[in-house]
Amino acid sequence: MTQTINTSGYSAITDSIRNEARRILGDGTVSAVIGYTSSRREGSTQPTVITKSEDADKLLFTAACLNNLVVYLTKAKKDVPHEGRIGIIVKGCDLKALVGLLGESQLKRENLYLIGIPCNGVLGSLFNPSAELNSETIAPKCRECTDRIPAGCDFMPDVETVGLPELNPFYSSEIARLEALTPVERWEYWKEQFSKCIKCYACRQVCPFCFCEQCLCDRNRPQMVEQTPRPSGNLAWHLVRAMHLAGRCAGCAECERVCPMDIPLNLLNRKMAKELKEMYNSEAGFEVREKGPLTSFDEHDDQSFIR
Amino acid sequence: MSRIGVFICHCGENISRTVDVERVASQASLMAGVAFSTDYKYMCSDPGQTLVKKAIAEHNLTHVVVAACSPRMHERTFRKAAEQAGLNPYLCEMANIREHCSWVHENREEATQKAIEIVGMLIERVKKNRILPTITVPVTKRALVIGGGIAGIQAALDVADCGHQVVLVEREPSIGGHMAQLSETFPTLDCSQCIMTPKMVDLANHPNITLHTYSEIEQVDGYIGNFQVTIRKKARSVDEHKCTGCGICITKCPQKKIPNIFDCNIGMRTAIYVPFPQAVPNVPVIDRENCTMFKSGKCGVCQKVCGPGAIDFTQEDILITEPVGAIIVATGFELYTITEKAKGSPIKGYGEFGHGKIPDVIDGMTFERLASASGPTGGKILRPSDGKEPKQVVFIQCVGSRSREKGISYCSKVCCMYTAKHTMLYHHKVHDGQAYVFFMDARVPGKSYDEFWRRSIEEEEAVYIRGMVSRLYQKGDKIVVMGSDIAVGVQVEIEADLVVLATAVQPQKGADLLAQKLGISYDKYNFYSEAHAKLRPVECATAGIYLAGACQGPKDIPDTVSQASAAAAKVMALFSKDRLEREPIVARVKEATCVGCFACKKVCAYGAVEEKEIRDRQGNLLKVIAYVNPGVCAGCGTCQATCPSKSVELDGYTDEQIVAMIEAL
Repeated sequence: MTQTINTSGYSAITDSIRNEARRILGDGTVSAVIGYTSSRREGSTQPTVITKSEDADKLLFTAACLNNLVVYLTKAKKDVPHEGRIGIIVKGCDLKALVGLLGESQLKRENLYLIGIPCNGVLGSLFNPSAELNSETIAPKCRECTDRIPAGCDFMPDVETVGLPELNPFYSSEIARLEALTPVERWEYWKEQFSKCIKCYACRQVCPFCFCEQCLCDRNRPQMVEQTPRPSGNLAWHLVRAMHLAGRCAGCAECERVCPMDIPLNLLNRKMAKELKEMYNSEAGFEVREKGPLTSFDEHDDQSFIR
Repeated sequence: MSRIGVFICHCGENISRTVDVERVASQASLMAGVAFSTDYKYMCSDPGQTLVKKAIAEHNLTHVVVAACSPRMHERTFRKAAEQAGLNPYLCEMANIREHCSWVHENREEATQKAIEIVGMLIERVKKNRILPTITVPVTKRALVIGGGIAGIQAALDVADCGHQVVLVEREPSIGGHMAQLSETFPTLDCSQCIMTPKMVDLANHPNITLHTYSEIEQVDGYIGNFQVTIRKKARSVDEHKCTGCGICITKCPQKKIPNIFDCNIGMRTAIYVPFPQAVPNVPVIDRENCTMFKSGKCGVCQKVCGPGAIDFTQEDILITEPVGAIIVATGFELYTITEKAKGSPIKGYGEFGHGKIPDVIDGMTFERLASASGPTGGKILRPSDGKEPKQVVFIQCVGSRSREKGISYCSKVCCMYTAKHTMLYHHKVHDGQAYVFFMDARVPGKSYDEFWRRSIEEEEAVYIRGMVSRLYQKGDKIVVMGSDIAVGVQVEIEADLVVLATAVQPQKGADLLAQKLGISYDKYNFYSEAHAKLRPVECATAGIYLAGACQGPKDIPDTVSQASAAAAKVMALFSKDRLEREPIVARVKEATCVGCFACKKVCAYGAVEEKEIRDRQGNLLKVIAYVNPGVCAGCGTCQATCPSKSVELDGYTDEQIVAMIEAL
């Protein structure tokens, strides 16, 4: 049975973030605000960077605001001014990525003005941006979200969102299904998924954590990963990405959303996150971690595998 | 174009037994870039090295590959030879066809094929080697000694006598270690205290030695010649500078019934205490767990009676940092106990001996305390349960040791001798008593050792029974010892008054944690590993850290003292130079691609990664990236493996070199 999800607070949130953006741009607190604005299609949205307080009314928040805007703070920052503090609108999942970037010295907290969204879920895709948000249309990541209210932001709209009804989790049940397979079957599953890859690198471009200036996969001396979209190179690319995101990925699921070949990339990342939670009790959250689980060592770490 | 020389070593027969070395040499000569290839019986010998040097000159070689043993063994040898022939030493590489090939394979054809491939990999790798200039770093001429037993004391005295500063850190309130607990020592039966305490006093009075007792190593940073060691001085609750050691606090302390660990819990001590009367320093410690003042806030008798006002209940742990150039680890041993072990532990206890619950079953160290003139019984052999003099004493050898099923397969080395000594001490003190020893075999090599052992049997009337004990149990006030005498082939049952177990020598608890702080390796029992079992027995694989005494393996006093002096000699050799040459195998950051995530900085165990600002010509900050201090970098390569954008390269092990090796396969 399809369950409707309450998004009634989103228009109040829109008003609130417009007022705040107007204020902070007007008094010079920030030089720009990164947020969402309406797009050409009815109901659709797109990211925008506004620098003038009179543009504040262009901002909005709806269930169609899918993008993780944090990527505009690292590599996709062409339109973002280099001077002054930057305001940015973050959902809980986006904030976890931003916090990860703070821990990796990519951002400085004092250069940011965080506008948190008390989120009640967003759509899974923009194929039908005006669709009602319900248990069928909601993004898979939102089904098991535990961080819908961001913490530690500079501003939060004073709007109560009611919270989600109990929904069947997607990723944890998929992980359980894969874990129940034999290693051979599991390997077959992933090989088949990766064989679809066309090496468009959309996953890399949209990922806030792929902030390297030169991706190791683009290097040719020595060539670490085969660049053509053939099985061995595809496999290498996705394994490198999974390993590089292990202990860092915040689960914004943007990679999976933008993948034109529907490879379940976030499923792989969730599995890695689960492993790291179990092994090192470490997971992405709203608190900056000085060291990630794979860049820290202490003598209490499990070392039974060494002997 | 490279002109590579390939030199295949037979290693006597170590390699040539399984590898057709001539075929490897002839195949190598066909590989691209190889100008000269040959084989020789002992490449590391003088004629072998001369062969390499002559070939470099005659064939105008640009790179050298020596296919022989592990680079850990002879890389330095051949790099030196290459350097003498005018090549940069880092243009010479080793292909390991011994440990990686001939020693681990039996099929000659396949081993030969593998050796050819290993050589081929190294040829491709050496082509990408760069000339690396040597790095020199200053040497801090101060040594740290960890552990104040006989090993640490000897090493500290030797280094200090050469005029260098020494910092000695001891976990317990007094130095002395286990040797201070012993009664008399084999093979001469001189009193341990008599030979030990003067050394302890020498150490305390030495102008070059700083002593930190009741202190532990908190953290170790840096590298050979330049360590920064953080020491936690635990709160003693007594001001070391004010205390005169008069001992009135100890006499007046109302808490008098605390088992004294120094006396193996047979004697009692007070809550404010020195472990033994000859303690150095003679400054008491308050045992906060048992002190009435700390438990209830009422008492403070010691503070009232202390003339100089040295008692300070508010003292806290303090951390101090000592810069040192070398570290000698001398943390010693502890004895295995037969008590029940935690589930899943690889080492098991002895249920058949009552898991340590029979009061008159004691270990060798407890017997030492009973026999010691300064011990809890004043040197009388009295059993713990009822204080009676035991007339029949059974000694059991190899308890824990040499028993794979109990989890310890090694021999503890000292027990045969000390048990022989115990039978003598017992015979000297209880003339009408009888000592029995159950043993597997007597392992008594060493100067005057066999004579000593035989004396215990031939003159001191100990009865040695070759066989093991299967069970001990209490029967009335006797302990029934059920064993076998395999020489006669009968079961033996002795009703003993006291049973003394020669339990295994184990590394100190926490030895593994200390090793992790120091960055040194240890074996599965937690004994510290030497760099080479035969040729570098006192050095760790980590440069600048040396080993002395039983922390490296079971040892008696003469061996421990020898090793301590050897470690001191190594430290002195290090301190003989003002600057130290270091291998230029260090990491470098590619500034163009580094994005400053500092994953490298987080994983660097040596604190070698710093932050560096990149500015344009106008001085505008463009980015902050990682910089590796080559003086600090130890070349471990962890940063290289961690860097997500592959912006760190380890000289000598660059990605290009590694990939070239893989592609050669």
